[in-house]
Amino acid sequence: MTKMLWIICIGAGLMSCSSHLVLHQTPLIPLSKESVFVSETEEVIKPYRDSMATVMNKHVAYSPCNFVLERPSSNLMNWVADALFVNQTKTVRLSQPAFCLLNFGGLRATLNKGEILMGDLYKLMPFDNTITWVEIPVGLLPEIAAYLLKTGGEPLSNAYIENGKIVVNGLNENHSHVWIITSDYLANGGDNMLFFKKGSTYSSKTTTLRDALIEEATYQENLLEIIDKRIR
Amino acid sequence: MERRKFIRNASLGLTGLAFVHQGLGQAMNSKSKKLTILHTNDTHSNIDPLPDNHPKYPGMGGVAKRHALIKKIRSEEQHVLLFDAGDIFQGTPYFNTFKGHLEMKLMTAMGYDAATMGNHDFDIGLEGFIDAQTHADFPFLCSNYDFSNTIMEGKTQAHTIFYKGGMKIGVFGIGVNLESLVPNANYGKMIYKDPIETANQQAATLTEKGCDIVICLSHLGYEYKDDRPSDRLMAKKTRNIHLILGGHSHTFLEKPVLESNLDGVPVLINQTGWAGINLGRIDIDFDQKLVKGNTIKVV
Repeated sequence: MTKMLWIICIGAGLMSCSSHLVLHQTPLIPLSKESVFVSETEEVIKPYRDSMATVMNKHVAYSPCNFVLERPSSNLMNWVADALFVNQTKTVRLSQPAFCLLNFGGLRATLNKGEILMGDLYKLMPFDNTITWVEIPVGLLPEIAAYLLKTGGEPLSNAYIENGKIVVNGLNENHSHVWIITSDYLANGGDNMLFFKKGSTYSSKTTTLRDALIEEATYQENLLEIIDKRIR
Repeated sequence: MERRKFIRNASLGLTGLAFVHQGLGQAMNSKSKKLTILHTNDTHSNIDPLPDNHPKYPGMGGVAKRHALIKKIRSEEQHVLLFDAGDIFQGTPYFNTFKGHLEMKLMTAMGYDAATMGNHDFDIGLEGFIDAQTHADFPFLCSNYDFSNTIMEGKTQAHTIFYKGGMKIGVFGIGVNLESLVPNANYGKMIYKDPIETANQQAATLTEKGCDIVICLSHLGYEYKDDRPSDRLMAKKTRNIHLILGGHSHTFLEKPVLESNLDGVPVLINQTGWAGINLGRIDIDFDQKLVKGNTIKVV
């Protein structure tokens, strides 16, 4: 274990000779191996960890790469939005286009290269937010584009931002409304996505976003990496 | 480039000295008055270290290791205070499964002296928080959340004062606006008070009570492009605060930042990232008028 770092150091005697102030960087201080952790603390944690192991250490999938979280678009943002979009649309026939919009802040951990366990999906999506469909008039799309440009990017699937405008796949002049697949948190105006409040909301109230991600990850087995930039 | 950076830091250092001199001048008489302040923020239920295959912080953090570091520093220093700036909850299955009980137990075991509430500490509602709080043997400081019309009434306090080696240390907590961040049902009839105005009142009160140093535990976030209240804005728009220990924005500051307050007196701001990867450390030597700001990696 090492300890490091920067020190801002200001000596009283230096007050009168201000040009000689020194910024110190402390040397690395190695901590002895025995002090790496406190064993009593570890003993408190262990029964809790062990009791979750059966559920949280369950194999879900493999990840071929590190899925990271970076605005405006990243492979993790794409994977989550795509997984939810596919999960929700593969068995339904829609009379108007749909896309998925989530929030950057709602993805709480990376998915790392290697085996993906149940616990990893809990870390990615720890909230119990439920899947919600919101039907909005197409006239609201510019407001959504403006929001995405202002925040610098959110997870998006089946739609992209180009030249300041949102392009929804399959949308044409005959459509008056589109579906947005999102979470109940955002549908209620969370993260200032106030445009959702102008739409009509349909929530399952039972299926969480995490449930859908677990289902899709299990189905994919090797997580699909898609790296296209959706805010461009 | 390096030299320019050096000069900039050096001049910051000078103003830092002014801060120590002005703010802490009262407590200079007796011998060796040193205070070590340790702090975390946004630990988000990260009880185990991050996994070894984490792309950015492999194997870092972990409560048992943090505890070892805290113990070591306590064995070396006489006067140590340990604080957390909120978002203790939410982020690993420990929270989904045990609803914050283990986080509170471990913070108590590590000897936290005080914490403030972050927005995610409302994730299981007020009832859930109170339930977990039964394991916390330290106060939650929330000066701009008015809980009087809720079941949380009396469960938090605006500020507290610590007495260490003849020094009087005033600490208060400031929280972020929960609107559009936390579902309304999770905080009920809690009334949100203006953070800057409240911070000013709290700092004035603690100064009147004769505190040698005033510390704010803040969950506002470090800095925003727009005019939302942040630690930097709070520092600029208040007086009598010496140190802001921040959270919410998961900001990794390599070293504390200085900002001038309403009176032109520098305020030291620090934040340690998230997940318990780092432990913040501020050393104040009241005799030498020396302030050191460290970030210690929990590796």
